[in-house]
Amino acid sequence: MTPVAKRAAIIAATALLCLPAISTSIAAEAYPDQPVRLVIPYPPGGALSITGAIITASAEPHLGQPMVSLIRAGGGGAVGATFVANSKPDGYTLLLGDPSINVIRPVLEKLPYNASDFVPIARITHSPFVFVANKDAPFSTASEMAAYAKANPGKLAYSSDNVNGWTYTAFELFKKAAGVTMRGVEFGGGGPAVTNVLGGNTMAYAGVPSVVKDHIASGGLKAICVSDKERYKPLPDVPTCAEGGVDVQWGAWIGVFGHKDIPADRLDKLKHAFAGLTKDEGFRTLMGRINADLAYMNASDFDASLQADAKSLR
Amino acid sequence: MSNDLLAGVLQALSWWPLMAALSGLVMGVIVGAIPGLTASITVAILLPFTFFMEPTVGIGFLLGIYKGAVYGASIPAILLNTPGTPAAAATSLDGYAMTRKGQGRRALQISLFSCIVGDLLSTFVLIGVTAPLAAMALRFSAPEYAVLFLASLVLIATVSGKDLTKGVLSAGAGALVGCIGLDAMTSTQRFVFDVPQLLGGIPLVPLIIGMFALSEVLVQVARPPAISLSGEIKGTGPSITRKELAAQTPNLLRSTSIGTFIGALPGLGAEIACWVAYGIARQRSKTPEQFGNGSMEGIAAAESGANATVPATLIPMLVFGIPGDVVTAVLIGAFVAQGITPGPLLFTQHGAVIYALFTLLILTNIALFAVGIAAIRSFSLVIRVPNALLMSCIVVVSLAGAYSINSDPYDVVIMVLGGIAGALMRSVSIPIPPFIIAVLLAPQLELTLRQSLALSDGDLSIFFTRPISGVLILIFSAFFLYTAWKHWAASSRRSMARHT
Repeated sequence: MTPVAKRAAIIAATALLCLPAISTSIAAEAYPDQPVRLVIPYPPGGALSITGAIITASAEPHLGQPMVSLIRAGGGGAVGATFVANSKPDGYTLLLGDPSINVIRPVLEKLPYNASDFVPIARITHSPFVFVANKDAPFSTASEMAAYAKANPGKLAYSSDNVNGWTYTAFELFKKAAGVTMRGVEFGGGGPAVTNVLGGNTMAYAGVPSVVKDHIASGGLKAICVSDKERYKPLPDVPTCAEGGVDVQWGAWIGVFGHKDIPADRLDKLKHAFAGLTKDEGFRTLMGRINADLAYMNASDFDASLQADAKSLR
Repeated sequence: MSNDLLAGVLQALSWWPLMAALSGLVMGVIVGAIPGLTASITVAILLPFTFFMEPTVGIGFLLGIYKGAVYGASIPAILLNTPGTPAAAATSLDGYAMTRKGQGRRALQISLFSCIVGDLLSTFVLIGVTAPLAAMALRFSAPEYAVLFLASLVLIATVSGKDLTKGVLSAGAGALVGCIGLDAMTSTQRFVFDVPQLLGGIPLVPLIIGMFALSEVLVQVARPPAISLSGEIKGTGPSITRKELAAQTPNLLRSTSIGTFIGALPGLGAEIACWVAYGIARQRSKTPEQFGNGSMEGIAAAESGANATVPATLIPMLVFGIPGDVVTAVLIGAFVAQGITPGPLLFTQHGAVIYALFTLLILTNIALFAVGIAAIRSFSLVIRVPNALLMSCIVVVSLAGAYSINSDPYDVVIMVLGGIAGALMRSVSIPIPPFIIAVLLAPQLELTLRQSLALSDGDLSIFFTRPISGVLILIFSAFFLYTAWKHWAASSRRSMARHT
C-alpha cells in the first residue's frame, strides 16, 4: 500500500471505531442503557451490603439493565452518601440508605451532604428494634430496666453502635420516655455490641430481630421488649415496649435513594422497577432467608414518613 | 452429632464442592498475589453468585479464596517487596532480603511450609475446641483488647531495627496518620479539612503498597544498586533442606498459637498476628540480628502466624455469628443467604453442612501444597526479568492495584504519597514497619481505652480488677521486664569486656 493509502485506511478505521460512541449517545434516550450502580455506604458484611447484594442479584429483569453494588464505606456512611450527593443526576448512581444516614445525622451533625440532596425511591425493609439484656441481668421487662436504672444511677451500661446510630437513637428514645440516665458504650457496630452483651460486659442492647433472634431462642439473651405498635410476629411472646411500661416506637429501615435532580421520567422508571422487584419471587425468597422484614413503601409515603421522622427528632 | 459428622464428610467428598473449593483456592492465590486485590473485595464481589449454589459449593468456594489469598500475598512480598495484602507485610522484610541474596526459592518454600502448618494446626483447633474457645473469646472486652493492643505496639516498636528512637518516631507518625478521619465514638472530624474522602481515614492497603513497593522503586531510582538485581542472581537459589524445615518447629508451634489466639478474638486478624508473631520470634531467637536481613525464622513466624488466623476467625463467626473481620462478615452474609444462620443454633440445625465445610478446609489445606509449589514455580520466573523492567512493572502494578480497590483515584493518591513518604523515611533510616503497625493499632488502642473507661465510668482500675485483663498485664510486664533485663545484661557484659 502506498503511504497515502495507508494513512487513509487508518483514518477510516479510526472513524469507524468512533461510530458506536456516537450511536450510544443518540440512543441515550432509552434509560437505562448501561448498568446502574447502587452505592453501599458501609463496609461489606453488614445488613446493608447483604440486602444490597440481594437487590442487585435480582434487579435486572425489572430494570432492563444489571445493577451493581459499589461499596464506598467510611465515615459511618458519610463517604458513600457524599459520593452520591456529588454524582451526576442521571439516574445511574443510587444510594442504599438507612435512618442514620438519611434522617438522624443530617439533622444533628454537620456533614458534607444534606438529607435534601436525595429523593426517596422506595423503602425495602423495616424492622422494629428488640431491646435485649444479658441472661443474668437483674431485670426482665422494660419497666424493670427503667427502675433498675433509676435505682442505680450510672451503673447500667449498655452496648451501643455509633453516636447517632440505630442503637444509640433507640436508647436515647428509651431514656427520654422513661426519664432515666444510662451509660452507653459505643462499640462501632452490631457485632462487637452483641459480643459484649453476650459476655456480660454490658447489660443491655437494642438490635434488629435478625441479629438477636437466635440468641433469644438459645437463651443467651433475654428479650425485654419490641419497639413497635404491635408485637413482632416471629417473636410473639415479646411484649411491645409500650406494654412493658416505656413507650418507644422506633425502627430501622433500608431504602433506595437517588440524587434529587434526577429527571422525572427516569425517576418514575426507577420507582416502577423497585415496586416490581419487591414482588419478585426470587427476591422475596432470598430476603426471607436473611430474615429481613420486607416492608415496601412507595416513594411518596416513604418521603412523608421521612419528613415526619426528621421533625420528631428536632 | 456423629450422624452429622459422617453426613458432612460425605457431602464434602463429592465433585462440585471439591472443585469449588479447589478453584477458590487457586483464584485466592492469584488474587492475593496481586497487590491491591484482597480477599475481602473478591469475596464481597463474588457473594451474590453463591446465593443460588449449594451451601457446600458456594461457601466452600469463598473459603478457598480466603485461604489462598492469605498465602498468595506472600509471593510478591518475598519476590518484589510488595505485600499482596497487609497480612504479608512482615514477610516482605526478610523475604525480600533473602531474594536479594539469591535465596528466593528457600524463602518461598519456608513461607509455603509455614503457611500450611499454621493453617492446618489452627483448623484442628477450630474443629476440636470451637465452643470453649468461643466462650473464652466472649469474656474479652475492651479492657483486654486495649492491653493486647498496647503490648503489641510496644513489642513491635522493638522490631524497629537498631535505633529505638527512630522506631518510636515512626510509630508516633503512624499513630497521627491513623487518627485522620471520624472519631469512632463521637463522630468528630479529625484532620479531615473538609475533604470528603478523608472522612474514612487513610486506607491501609494503598498505603502499604506505596510504602513498601513504590518506595523501593523510588529508592532504587535515586541510588541504583551497584550490581543489577538480575545480573547477580542466576535463578532463585537452592531448595530448602528438611533439616532447615524441622529446625523451625518450635517457632512454628509458637507462632501458630499466637495466630490462632489472635484470630479467635473478634476484630483482630492476620494483619496484626503476623507482626506479633514476628516480634515475639525475634525476641526469642538466638540470632535476632538476622531479622530484617533474611531470617527464615522471621518468615516462618510471620507466615504461620498470619495463616493461623484464617480458620480461627471462623470460630466466633460460627459460634456466635460475630464477624472477626471483613471477610468473615461477608461469609456470614453468604451463610445467611443460604438460610443457615451462624450462631448458637448452628450446630444443632445445620451440623452436616458445617462438618462438610470443615472437611473442605482440611482438604484445601493439603491441596495448597500442590497449588503453592505450582505458584512458586510460575512466579519465580519474575526474578529473571531485568531490573529496570521489573521496577517499571512494579510501578504500573502499584498504580493499577491501588485503583482497583475501589475504582477511586483517592486510593492512588494515597499510594503515591505513601511511596514518597516511604522513600524519604528510608533515606534517613527511619523504619517503616512501626509506622504501618501504628496506623493499624493506635486508633484501635485509643478506641478500646475509651470504651474501657466508658464501661467503668472513668475508673482506671478496671484494667487490673478484671481478671483476664489483669493476668494479661502481668504476663506482658514480666515478658518486657525479662527482655529489658536480658538487653541490659548483654550490653553491660559488652561494656565490661571493653574495659577489661
